Amino acid sequence: MLPAGPLAGVRVADFTWVVAGPVCTRILADLGAEVIKIERPDALDFGDRRGGLTGSLMRGKQSIVVDLRRPGGIDVARRLALAADVVVDNFSARVMPNLGLDHDSLACERADIITMRMTGFGLTGPDRDQVSYGPTLQALTGYTLLMGDPDGPPAGFGYSYSDLAAGNLGALAVLAAVWRRRRTGRGTRIDLAQQEALASLLGPILLDRAAHGGTSRATGNASQEGADAPHGVYPCAGADRWLAIAVLGDAQWQGLRAVIGNPAWAAEARFESAAGRVQHAPELNRRLASWTRTQDAEAAMAVLQEAGVPAGRVGDARDVCARDPQLAARGHFVDVATPDGGTVRIDGPPFLLSDTPAAVRGPGPLLGEHTDAVLARVLGCDDGEIARLRADGGVR
Amino acid sequence: MTSLDDGPLAGVRVLDLADRSGALAGRLLAGLGADVVLVEPPEGSALRTVPPFYDGAPDTERSLFFWFYAAGKRSVVADATLVARLAAAADVVIDTGPPGATEALRAAHPRLVVAAITPFGQRGPYRDWQASDLVAQAMGGMLAVNGHADGPPLQALGLQAYHQAGVFAAIGVVAALLARETSSRGQLVDISLQAAVTASLEHVPGMFHQSGIVPVRQGTLHWTRHFRVGRCRDGWVLHCTLGDWTSLLEWVKADGMAADLDAPAWEEAPHRKAHAEHCFDVLDRWALRYTVDELHEGAQLRRIPYAAVRAPEALLRDPHLADRGFFVPIEHPDLGVTVPFPGAPMRLGATPWRTTRPPRIGEHQEAVVAEWITS
Repeated sequence: MLPAGPLAGVRVADFTWVVAGPVCTRILADLGAEVIKIERPDALDFGDRRGGLTGSLMRGKQSIVVDLRRPGGIDVARRLALAADVVVDNFSARVMPNLGLDHDSLACERADIITMRMTGFGLTGPDRDQVSYGPTLQALTGYTLLMGDPDGPPAGFGYSYSDLAAGNLGALAVLAAVWRRRRTGRGTRIDLAQQEALASLLGPILLDRAAHGGTSRATGNASQEGADAPHGVYPCAGADRWLAIAVLGDAQWQGLRAVIGNPAWAAEARFESAAGRVQHAPELNRRLASWTRTQDAEAAMAVLQEAGVPAGRVGDARDVCARDPQLAARGHFVDVATPDGGTVRIDGPPFLLSDTPAAVRGPGPLLGEHTDAVLARVLGCDDGEIARLRADGGVR
Repeated sequence: MTSLDDGPLAGVRVLDLADRSGALAGRLLAGLGADVVLVEPPEGSALRTVPPFYDGAPDTERSLFFWFYAAGKRSVVADATLVARLAAAADVVIDTGPPGATEALRAAHPRLVVAAITPFGQRGPYRDWQASDLVAQAMGGMLAVNGHADGPPLQALGLQAYHQAGVFAAIGVVAALLARETSSRGQLVDISLQAAVTASLEHVPGMFHQSGIVPVRQGTLHWTRHFRVGRCRDGWVLHCTLGDWTSLLEWVKADGMAADLDAPAWEEAPHRKAHAEHCFDVLDRWALRYTVDELHEGAQLRRIPYAAVRAPEALLRDPHLADRGFFVPIEHPDLGVTVPFPGAPMRLGATPWRTTRPPRIGEHQEAVVAEWITS
């Protein structure tokens, strides 16, 4: 039995779908909140709901199926929202107001309600009704264009990083609102525009353009945290094996030189300073790659690390999930028991709290697994009312 | 005294000892209203030496890198003795020292919440290894799924390993503060750059655990195979085969460019996914007759989630962001300039996201000592 989490006693009515919203509420569930996932009868999933991709998004949540196309379903949804402390959705801006589930509609009955609206573009502004997915927002904010070689075509993100970025920031926003409510008794209306969340994470790049104007250049694998070289991803022995090496400072350059056997070219004066190394970065990259090609990526990583040089093999899914001793030691992936007596492996939260753990508190729920239980426990429905609601089709 | 308009975390005292790998954590807490005090050595934080610099001139007060992460924070110059006294008055310490570095601090101040951000975490075989943003992205699994299939794995734009570590650290800090309300005890928030990256992958761990699939990098073709970037007349556009396919097809057909896409099979999303390369090849030929803006706007009118593939500077001219006031003008009186700072990642009711001018070295020495220690 896990110790109670920091959000024990906080109930979340979770109207989210796809990825960004579920990422937000899974962190709340990890922290011990009671997360009730209100799902459509034809809810999307990515396969196995217990584990896998869907299971990792749904971990520790309860599922009730509510048909929001039926008045009975909308009524149940509203009662669940009013019984909750936090209401989260990531629909388009107009959906929750149309259902009577927006902040103003709920706050007149629950003044301390926290509503979290995660839309693509926000609740105000001329683009508020535009449609978007993670890749759309990555394209609009500059990530897609600027990832890649300076002279090559865009190569930005093979996945929806935006959904993770917005979901994680969304969890932070909810936590801050819960803190504020404990202090003041007040609710909060949270307007998270995923475009803005993603833009804020551009960091100094966007501030540079804001201060100076000018045109951004694609970064390739060059350093974004101060000018130095060599800095990049280098081919190693074997098929599609790569090693990231980041020299940042003279000491690390000297460490790298020693590891590769102090070749004569590396002792040249033009490589002594960071400015010189950056000026000759293409040559350094070529020479370093001719060494890495003969090396096993993991062996070279270990030798470089022993010499104080930041280096890491490029980990694919198998490396990260099944072969990485460090993530294993942190307990990042956990085997979670399922009600049928099996287990599923799910990734857990990456932040470890020493006293009140954030942890995977259960597998993903099957669709509608908790419909009866939630109606009884949260809304106080007796068997007769549950049967009536089911017969009406508002819940499944 | 704090008022309700000071932000949700008003009154929370955060001592920020972090280097660049953890600088976003304090920035986020400051944005939410916490009193975040940045500790600097007499010569200034190392972040002040990182380019780019305002007007290109290297100077401790001109680093835009520092400006971004320090906005909303206050600055003191402190040695170990003063740090210890400030820590005694703090609710939260953010540290990026080696594993174990904050144990004495935690022992001395049981109510303190300590966020320790390290490359690989406080324990485990790699705990003493070094990382950078690039290395953490490699070790966490982000690099392997970005980049063209025939090129090297590719880093994300904008130090996203550090940024996710900062977000998770801020999450852990507020969670630990909530727990302290009932336990009266602080705790350690152990953040690993590598694990923060692994927790910010979308499909990678889940698909592996579910089916043993090892996702690969495939350029801009999204893993769901419903998005890919293509060239158009004056730039690049993101094609999307989700949403209203019929409307998209009608548009392409009206231009006589649909080729075989008007066969009934393409109406089914799984078919478009299975044959994504062909579908996008046809759409690429069609898109060449349009500009970026024509495609983006035309698609949005039809409720198709296409997007212009823009540079970050386009955000500065975006009427929607202007309407929402995303950029916050910050005056820098020493330089006589006002710079629009990227603003709130999220908006909490009436409480504003705090973005104040990045501090000068030790600018708030007297005020912080007076408020935190002597009062």
